[in-house]
Amino acid sequence: MSLAEDRPITAVASGGYDIHLPENARELLAALPQRMLDELDKVVNPEAIVPETLRRLFPPAYPTDASADDAYTRLMRRDLLDHHRESLLVLRNSATAQHLDMSELERWLGAISSLRLMFGSLLGITEDEHDVAPDDPLYSEWICYHFLSYLQEAIISVLAEELPDPIPDNQVELPGDPWGEPLGGLRWDGTPMPEVDHDG
Amino acid sequence: MRDVHISRASTIEASPEVIDVARAEEHVSFDRPWLVIVWNDPINLMSYVTFVLQKLFGYSKEKATKLMLDVHHKGRAVVATGSRERAELDVARLHRHGLWATMEQSG
Repeated sequence: MSLAEDRPITAVASGGYDIHLPENARELLAALPQRMLDELDKVVNPEAIVPETLRRLFPPAYPTDASADDAYTRLMRRDLLDHHRESLLVLRNSATAQHLDMSELERWLGAISSLRLMFGSLLGITEDEHDVAPDDPLYSEWICYHFLSYLQEAIISVLAEELPDPIPDNQVELPGDPWGEPLGGLRWDGTPMPEVDHDG
Repeated sequence: MRDVHISRASTIEASPEVIDVARAEEHVSFDRPWLVIVWNDPINLMSYVTFVLQKLFGYSKEKATKLMLDVHHKGRAVVATGSRERAELDVARLHRHGLWATMEQSG
């Protein structure tokens, strides 16, 4: 896929954003959401087992308290599901648009984030760099993943310009590292963090 | 609302229901804030995590970047604190943005 512009999304002085993407990129963006929408239909029931490719989209709020987490999931699953679904629908339905307003572009960002999590899970993404051969059976998924990463960066760069003035840092009070462990101990999935060679 | 955890040490009658009253000193914890924690993951872009922290919490780019780097290098970082209800709301907002966020009460 060749991209027509170095900057696929540009802010417009009169408001909103112009989208500069080639036709094949737009076709891809219109097609990808359906695959995920079909998967999301399988987890409408809060008690449904979430497939591995969607697990990143439904983290536990209380990882060490099953009872509290069950209650939280029953309360929040539908809202979270609807949010993901609505973002995917906006992306699918506006993939051919030449111009988006901010709320639409924020929905694109949400949908692309969800799709990256799905493809990243499918591909078994790790912190390491990946060299992908054209004969890799998941080569097309790798291309999708990298295209979505490229587009996500482009959207962030324009939306970041619209953020309101921040809270002064001296008014933000957060405990730095309440665990007292230099490396924090665990990754998101509960596996240990790797040792860091500070001398290397 | 749910900061009081009731055990069966004793009971009192309180119409119309019976309320279990607990070993309060062990379970009542109004004053310990809840921590909202974002965990490291290999998929979300560093720029995306930074952007989400700026957008949701109003942090400066420098503050959000520092938190993102804590997540990246230490495996996790506390990105917000507050009541249990506030923490649940923040966790839900982070989940909507695809970040692996959990909550726990401060020790």
